[in-house]
Amino acid sequence: MQNAIGEELNGAQAELMECYATLARVLTDQREDLAPFEERNALKALGALWQVANGLDMDPGQVYHLGA
Amino acid sequence: MTESPYWNPRHETMSRAEIEALQVRKLRKLLDWTEAQVPYHSKRLQDAGVTADSINSLDDLRRIPFMTREEWMDGQLEQPPYGPILAAPEESAIRYHLTSGTTGKTPIRVLDSMKDWEWIAEMWCYGFWGFGIRPGDTVFFAFSYGTFVGFWGAHYACEKMGCLVLPGGNMTTEGRVKQILDMNATVVCSTPTYALRMAQEARNLGIDLVNGPVKRLILSGEPAGSIPATKKLIEDQWGAKAGDTAGMTELGTIMMFECEQQPGGTHIIEDHYIEEVIDPQTGDPVAYGEPGERVVTSFGRGFIPVIRYRTRDLVLKIPAANCSCGRTFDIYEGGIRGRVDDMKLVRGTNVYPRAVEAIVREYDSIDEFQIHLYTAEGIRDEIEVLVEIPDPASDSDRIAAELQTSLSEAHEGLRFAVRQVDNESLPRFELKAKRVLDEREIAGGAGERKQA
Repeated sequence: MQNAIGEELNGAQAELMECYATLARVLTDQREDLAPFEERNALKALGALWQVANGLDMDPGQVYHLGA
Repeated sequence: MTESPYWNPRHETMSRAEIEALQVRKLRKLLDWTEAQVPYHSKRLQDAGVTADSINSLDDLRRIPFMTREEWMDGQLEQPPYGPILAAPEESAIRYHLTSGTTGKTPIRVLDSMKDWEWIAEMWCYGFWGFGIRPGDTVFFAFSYGTFVGFWGAHYACEKMGCLVLPGGNMTTEGRVKQILDMNATVVCSTPTYALRMAQEARNLGIDLVNGPVKRLILSGEPAGSIPATKKLIEDQWGAKAGDTAGMTELGTIMMFECEQQPGGTHIIEDHYIEEVIDPQTGDPVAYGEPGERVVTSFGRGFIPVIRYRTRDLVLKIPAANCSCGRTFDIYEGGIRGRVDDMKLVRGTNVYPRAVEAIVREYDSIDEFQIHLYTAEGIRDEIEVLVEIPDPASDSDRIAAELQTSLSEAHEGLRFAVRQVDNESLPRFELKAKRVLDEREIAGGAGERKQA
């Protein structure tokens, strides 16, 4: 997996980015299946992992539409 | 990796060319987002002929018009409560903070989302980590935890880092000093003035801070954190290293921090901000080593885009190579050195004389007034408003009490004294009035820089 400037992420970084992508996808597509504790903790985790994505130059964009 | 001296090792050691390329890319994204979400900014950018795609270098940044605090305030007044600058729906917000305004009672109000709030803590992490604070440290916050953003982000940063956080709000100074000792706090966060106040209280209590547990102090809220003699006084009285930071409510967090090498200034967090230094009269950029006004563009808080915001802070930028820490982030030598306007900083709170005047002028019975700033007990900033109330039929005690409350409420709870003085005792002015008498001293000895 590469970041926005073409640098290769290491294995641990790539796995974190997969977590981020999974969280964003679940919150976008399957939100109605989540209980309050699942939804809100997932949002909080998304906000934290956004910092990792941003710091790795993955250009994560904005996530306000998801409530984060 | 946890032994890294840097919070984000790759970004903090990038070459200048890489930092600038990163900033250009982030600037394009910021403009793209802002154009799409904030019609107010979109129009400003269109009027200036700027689009995200037209940004090819940092030189292009200068085509974007400055934004001022006055414009921000005017926008809030026209479109309360936040003005036309929100890029996301209010219901996405989880935090509300404010700072005192430039005029009257209206504060500048800001909102943050969950992601923004994490980012705010993230900026403080750069500073805390860079000053040598690590998981396992016990961090005491001498902070009131109100709507003033102050050390809020730092509190969450320390939680994120795995420190034990001691929230020292709503405590007496004696109680704070005792808790710092009782809980073996290794780090204390406060304004420089309050660090000296706590040291004074410790002496009164017979407590030896120098041989106590505190190893580091994180200072913020006043320029004194980078004034060498003041810093030395604090370090001597605490037996600890003191590191300066500086932030602003408009950004929600800090934009600069002092690293463990203590280079005599603060590193700019350049992977999250573009910090320009301009001539405050012409708006032209000044070179390294020349004093000028800070202009900030923030890539962090997307809720309220801040693009080329004139801070009125006086700074002097020098290259990163002046520090031996290995960071490539440039440095503001001496931190924030003062102001290019008439704002006064009192115990971490912004006070604009014209805002005080607007409140005082709501009382017809007050004939003349003066804002008096002085140093109490050799260390503490105090502010009092001297008023003349000539009509003996006026209830001067009630007026003074009401005015005191109004001033405090408009300034994040800052304690003002209001004192009636003899009629005709205050100076009168025919032309430009000078109703501010600033007699404060900077602790640390003669020859120190005057506080802004």
